[in-house]
Amino acid sequence: MDTKKTFDDTMRFVTMVAAKQNWGLHPDRSFLTDIVDGLTVNFNRYGYFACPCRDATGKREEDKDIICPCNYCRPDQEEYGHCYCGLYLTREFAERGGIPAGIPERRYKGRS
Amino acid sequence: MYSDVIYTEVKGEVAEHDITVYALSTCGFCKRALAFLNDNGVSYRYVYFDKLSEDEKASLRKRLMNDYKEYLSFPYAIIDDKDVLVGFIEANWRAALGL
Repeated sequence: MDTKKTFDDTMRFVTMVAAKQNWGLHPDRSFLTDIVDGLTVNFNRYGYFACPCRDATGKREEDKDIICPCNYCRPDQEEYGHCYCGLYLTREFAERGGIPAGIPERRYKGRS
Repeated sequence: MYSDVIYTEVKGEVAEHDITVYALSTCGFCKRALAFLNDNGVSYRYVYFDKLSEDEKASLRKRLMNDYKEYLSFPYAIIDDKDVLVGFIEANWRAALGL
């Protein structure tokens, strides 16, 4: 059984990922709090940090592409400056004061 | 809307459109979309997709794709049973709802 995570645990996790990758985090504290809350709920539901903006199955193998930071994070950052959830921003997007907006779901691209 | 799905109804003074929202309880953009509707006094119904059973989710996903021809990603709003808004971009929602 995985240990439960608290909000602070998850905030430490996303802060560590962002620092390691030289990314920024969503600049709006309230929005950031919502995403971190969602990630915490998903960890405690599934045992891993499933993306809070996507529906997870609870089967790690099926969800592995959407475990945060997800497989679509970098291509979305390259195209839009931030990931699908608006959690991780490129350094450049963050420094010019960009605010994440909704972007298309890359996960389904190429599916019929 | 589907008769076998239990939606939460939100009543507002603006009821010009029939609006059904599929959202995730964990998603920041979903929260902003519902707050946008609330702030504008719009009537709508919603369901948190992540709180449904896997069987209910599979059935809904299939029916939504079949009926509205859009992959289910969140938030997913059906306006007057024909137009679909996928994702939350406030300007798009404002335009679609005439706000």
